Amino acid sequence: MTEPSLASSALASLSRLEPGAGRAPRWYAHGYNRAELYRLAAATSWLSRPLRLRLARAVGRAARRLFPAEQAVVRSTLEVTTGAAGARLDALVAGVFRDFATCFSDLVTTNRQPPARLAAHVSDARGTEQLGALEGGMISLTAHVGNWEMAGRLLALRAARPTHVVVAEEEVRNLERWVRRDGDGVRFVPRTAPTVSLRLIAALRRGEVVAVQGDRALGTRGDTLVPFFGRPAPFPRGPFVLARALGVPLVPAFCMLGSDDRYVVTMPEPLTVAAGGEEDALRRWVGLLEDIVRRHPTQWFNFFDVWNPARG
Amino acid sequence: MEPDEILDAIRAVLVERLKFDPARAAGIDPDTLLPKGLDESLGLDSLDFIELAMGIEERCGITIDEDEDLALHFKSAGALVDFVVSRQAQA
Repeated sequence: MTEPSLASSALASLSRLEPGAGRAPRWYAHGYNRAELYRLAAATSWLSRPLRLRLARAVGRAARRLFPAEQAVVRSTLEVTTGAAGARLDALVAGVFRDFATCFSDLVTTNRQPPARLAAHVSDARGTEQLGALEGGMISLTAHVGNWEMAGRLLALRAARPTHVVVAEEEVRNLERWVRRDGDGVRFVPRTAPTVSLRLIAALRRGEVVAVQGDRALGTRGDTLVPFFGRPAPFPRGPFVLARALGVPLVPAFCMLGSDDRYVVTMPEPLTVAAGGEEDALRRWVGLLEDIVRRHPTQWFNFFDVWNPARG
Repeated sequence: MEPDEILDAIRAVLVERLKFDPARAAGIDPDTLLPKGLDESLGLDSLDFIELAMGIEERCGITIDEDEDLALHFKSAGALVDFVVSRQAQA
């Protein structure tokens, strides 16, 4: 069962993981990814957003006790990313489940609003002005932090061109209705065939946007070990290979929940990939990711051991 | 380009960009299947297809920008030859 994460539409990177080729381990799977939970969360859409988020937080607090394995992983991850211990670590662990529930609630309700209305939930947008200066195709690069899907939808709106979101193959088909919805300039591209890269190449050649997640290794030859909080962790190299081959920029984008329950969208400087420079660009990306996780440790939604994913 | 020349271009791309053994590449014919997951195919994955597409664009002077599923055109060496021929005819 795939992680829901803001997740079941988990944008994955290009890799050797293809059907019929033997399944890569799905270490990011966990019990959250149930249609009933999506249905339940979506059923609260009639509530006002403040009330709905309060309810989501209460559910998050209660739910973490139901997932001891995930809680243990979150704890060990936070030990590395924050150096916290004792009561502070306990609070951070609770914070991850609280923030996950909050963003999850928005994923299946707020995010489903027309893009033009999403802007009302954004308190600040940093670096988005550079989108206007970027001509031609680009790759939007984000991660399972905050409300990444909203980042993608806002980018599609601001970039004013079709956005092709690469999603992981779903094991539970009935989850799709809750997390995917083509339209509003967003098209989902299932990573179900090795030829998916051809569709992305063609889109970039037409000057469109390709959106991928850059924080989950897939256990394939496309993974590269890069220091993450001082320890080697596998990250997908695919997006960087694609950017180098097409000569297009990678545009990092993060959408983090603020204390006022509005989101702050951040788009750091675009990354360019020189010939043979895929690993260097990947390291720069991981540095950006490390920085955002350091500043928002409770909005890092990976419930597996990112340093040793196969072990999970 | 003639179909034989395009097939040679595919073989050359496989050797130069995908690091295939030249002897293995020389044995590729129009019936050779390309994608991973098909029996007796070359086992190309999504990263390989990036390199193959770039190499074909470069050698054959075409641009891959169709808003359609290209999987069938890259299913076999022969299908890819036909695709390149049709693209060159449109140019």
